[in-house]
Amino acid sequence: MEDTVSRIDTLQAIELAEGVEVRLRIAGPLPRGMALGIDMLIQGVILVVVTIVLAISGIGLGWNVASGLIMLAWFFMSWWFPVFFEAGKRGATPGKRSMGLRVVQTSGAPITFGQAVVRNFLRVVDGMPMIPWLPIPTMGFGLAACLATKRFQRLGDLAAGTVVIYDKVAAEPAVPAPPPMDAARPLVVLRPEEVQAVVAFRERAGLWSEGRRAEIADHARELTGDHGAAGVSRIMAMAHWLQEKR
Amino acid sequence: MSPGSFEERRGSEWVELERLISSVEKGKPEEGVDELPRRFREACSDLALARHRMYSGHLIERLNSLVIRGYKLLYRSRRSGWEAVMRFVVAGFPQAVRKEWRLFWLCSALFWLPFFALLASAWWDIDWIRASLGPQEMAAMEQMYGGQEEQLSHLRSEHGSNFMMFGFYIRNNVGIDFQIFAGGIAACLGTIFFLVYNGIHIGAAAGYVHYACNPQSFWTFVAGHSSFELLGMVVAGMAGMRLGLGILKPGRLPRGRAIAEAGKSALPLLYGAGTMTALAAVVEGFWSAQPIPAEVKYGAGATLWVLHIVYFLWMGRGRRAA
Repeated sequence: MEDTVSRIDTLQAIELAEGVEVRLRIAGPLPRGMALGIDMLIQGVILVVVTIVLAISGIGLGWNVASGLIMLAWFFMSWWFPVFFEAGKRGATPGKRSMGLRVVQTSGAPITFGQAVVRNFLRVVDGMPMIPWLPIPTMGFGLAACLATKRFQRLGDLAAGTVVIYDKVAAEPAVPAPPPMDAARPLVVLRPEEVQAVVAFRERAGLWSEGRRAEIADHARELTGDHGAAGVSRIMAMAHWLQEKR
Repeated sequence: MSPGSFEERRGSEWVELERLISSVEKGKPEEGVDELPRRFREACSDLALARHRMYSGHLIERLNSLVIRGYKLLYRSRRSGWEAVMRFVVAGFPQAVRKEWRLFWLCSALFWLPFFALLASAWWDIDWIRASLGPQEMAAMEQMYGGQEEQLSHLRSEHGSNFMMFGFYIRNNVGIDFQIFAGGIAACLGTIFFLVYNGIHIGAAAGYVHYACNPQSFWTFVAGHSSFELLGMVVAGMAGMRLGLGILKPGRLPRGRAIAEAGKSALPLLYGAGTMTALAAVVEGFWSAQPIPAEVKYGAGATLWVLHIVYFLWMGRGRRAA
């Protein structure tokens, strides 16, 4: 069971030098794609505005100087824009920030300037193959690499040793569970993940309706030896015992 | 100990840690910030305890995010200043190139062999050149290099056109360098393709000039920036090959780690290549098309080639650099 969970779950456990494990929630291709779309939109708007402003000031500067500046703007916008933001304090481009994402090293530490360079320069390869006749990347390589790796890393991430994570995970809504009636010792010795499941049942019970609680508790009939509302209160009692009385 | 009493005993410490972390995150450290590392380590052990004792998910989640935030602050890398940049220029870059001397010769061959093959076909079989340039490009070559040397500087006589070409060369040529590097991730194939392609293309252009245009006007134009640009391209190729070899030849590391290590060791080469090609754009924009006697241009070009060789062979050696 543990194995399947770690294979399905996007939580990535990372051991720090302090000897403790923290869990990072890795971001998948969909939010990252949306962040990329937002970034491209922002870059496009900036380029259009810069081009218009420079074209107007070209009357004073001379048209050639203006078009030279426009080409420099293109260069910096296409290669250095994401590097600038990701190497900065927030570790995220505006698009990633708006999606609540952040780029970190696989160790969980903030990325260095060099890592930002590598992962963003390789974006041209991740963008392959291009849509025929249009300069629009399909991100096919990047998507394939994301789906093939455990931590949703595109090629640039692999070469830079980085991952994209959710910066702040929204806390689960906490609704106080019904107060425990009594404490009951489980009849069998529970494995750690079973203890976790029982405790999680109690934590989340406040979010469910009466019927749903009974439905879920019925799956644990072997443990409770009862069904329906009686089974629910059995589990609650066990959770109480496990957390408070042990 | 029950989760409730655990939280009661340690809660105030976590609030204090969170206050310190938020203040540092905002860039305005508050009083007691020198306590942060100690409090961070305490929170780490609290998290380990909470997880081991299987306390509630909310408690673990709270400690988890607190530890992650603290970790990001304590372990951020320090930005290196101008000193490091200078060190890189006078020692780090030539050292990095010398260290990868095998890749240097490999990438040089990938570029120069097609170059000379196509250049030579100006005398042997012009069809190769025709096929690789195409009619439009041949017309453009004739327009640029067809007449006397003055023709080029005449094209640039309009106000600001030097700057426009500088912008163009930055965007185009430095962009090509970055693509050569990025192509390396495809098991070196992209890098090899771009190097050979550029060798063919530039060689064909040089050959066509000898066939149909005024060679003097071409060679005086390229003499000045050739050393920066062509060596820069070769170095970008080395960076791409280094990256690709991480996949092809991971050695004793697992392949994922090997790629990341290769990316790290390719970086100095990439920085150097980008800088060299940017310098080439400066020369190409503001010097190469100026109406200057041919001897001066050839002299400057040859001097720069010699300086490059000296730079790569001898800079950053000796005890002071180490």
